[in-house]
Amino acid sequence: MQFPGMTQMLQTVKTPPKIRLILGGVLTVMSVWICLMLLPTRLPGMALAGIGPNWLLIWVVIWSFKRSVWQGMSAGLVLGLLQDAMTEENPTHIFSLMFVGYLTSRLQKQRFLRENFIVITLVTFGMAVVGETVMALQFSSLGNRTLIDIWKHHQLIALSSAILSSLWAPVLYFPLNQLWKWSAIPHD
Amino acid sequence: MLSVRRWWERFGTTTLWTGAAVGIALIIRHTQGGFLLESYQLIARPFYSSPDRTAQLENAQAQELQQRLIDLQNKNQKLEDLLGFTQAQKSKGIPAPVIGRSADHWWSNLVLGRGKKDGVELNSIVMSPGGVVGRVSKVSDSGSVVTLLSDAFNQVGVTVSRTRATGFIKGQSGDKAGSQVIMEFFDKNVDVRRGDTVVTSAFSKKFPSGLPVGRVESVDMGKSPSPEAVIQLTAPIAALEWTAIYPHLPPQTEDLTPDPEPRNSKILTSPAEKP
Repeated sequence: MQFPGMTQMLQTVKTPPKIRLILGGVLTVMSVWICLMLLPTRLPGMALAGIGPNWLLIWVVIWSFKRSVWQGMSAGLVLGLLQDAMTEENPTHIFSLMFVGYLTSRLQKQRFLRENFIVITLVTFGMAVVGETVMALQFSSLGNRTLIDIWKHHQLIALSSAILSSLWAPVLYFPLNQLWKWSAIPHD
Repeated sequence: MLSVRRWWERFGTTTLWTGAAVGIALIIRHTQGGFLLESYQLIARPFYSSPDRTAQLENAQAQELQQRLIDLQNKNQKLEDLLGFTQAQKSKGIPAPVIGRSADHWWSNLVLGRGKKDGVELNSIVMSPGGVVGRVSKVSDSGSVVTLLSDAFNQVGVTVSRTRATGFIKGQSGDKAGSQVIMEFFDKNVDVRRGDTVVTSAFSKKFPSGLPVGRVESVDMGKSPSPEAVIQLTAPIAALEWTAIYPHLPPQTEDLTPDPEPRNSKILTSPAEKP
């Protein structure tokens, strides 16, 4: 049995690059929203000492991995603003996520890093530590917590967040990468 | 001019999209994430656990103590009535399910599934079986965010109920971050020992006084500049599923202004002085 109408419809959905681009954009925004909705959850198996993965940081790393410095940094800016909305505005998450976007997009210049799951995992691990360090520096400059408290806390959350984020990064990387390939959203 | 146009042809769309994304993110931040809180609340709704009443009532001893407490409270109320001591009526709490934790690891928050629609206000007090949990710091139509007692930014004035030694508690980091806090005393010589009960103090503007907070776990008298104690919180913050929200009525802080002309004041003139 054949469904000529169905096949035709799928083809028309598949062929025009405009529709693909729009659909890709909508799904990209949806993925950010899903990451935001995952942030306050602590599902069993997803938390370590009450600390969960930093989903927005994973998203920024994946986005910036094969894009230009400017694209990486603007993603950091947008997602930093959104994380501020979910938590507190002072100190802001903009700097940490923008810095992560910048560093990740700079990594592509050295050609020894080829994209695969292991590299994404390693990069996310490093970036999670970098991101939390930027936050800790901001807290230190604010001065309403003692330095000992800040850096003790930093040690704990940088490590837990880095381990969890890096382990969950491939889960987000695979669908997003496929989506961006399929929809031809500007990619390097 | 040509170069500008060429630049626009190459990067125009990207710039527009980036601008739009930044704009939307700014709007969401400006509304304090109200939209995000609402949508999170909507998604989490099917996963609310029902309040486990049987587990709470299992402990027969707790029940007995509760009955005795009610009895004592009633007696106390009668005595207060006899003395003409009036106290504001205690309002009923709003039961609220815990639907999430903080969206970042630098703050300790809870996300509750009740908001303005259910009568939750900013700075409302959040309690659980066991004692105080925290204070509402952000509220949307049907969700709210609670700053926990164990938050490292949050300092709350407390007092040791046996000796009235006062100080403040602050959150700590480490593996016991959710269940223990540090209490710093104001005085150098304080009478405090392991097992003492700690309640919120009358100095605290954030909480009404006398709410149970926790128990003294250990005391470090040699700490400089003032002694410190580790407090075990009685509310099981790490395993909370349901809480109760009470509106906070701040105590009247209006100062008594001295009368500029005490001689003319009626209270001071005794009947004997009258001609």
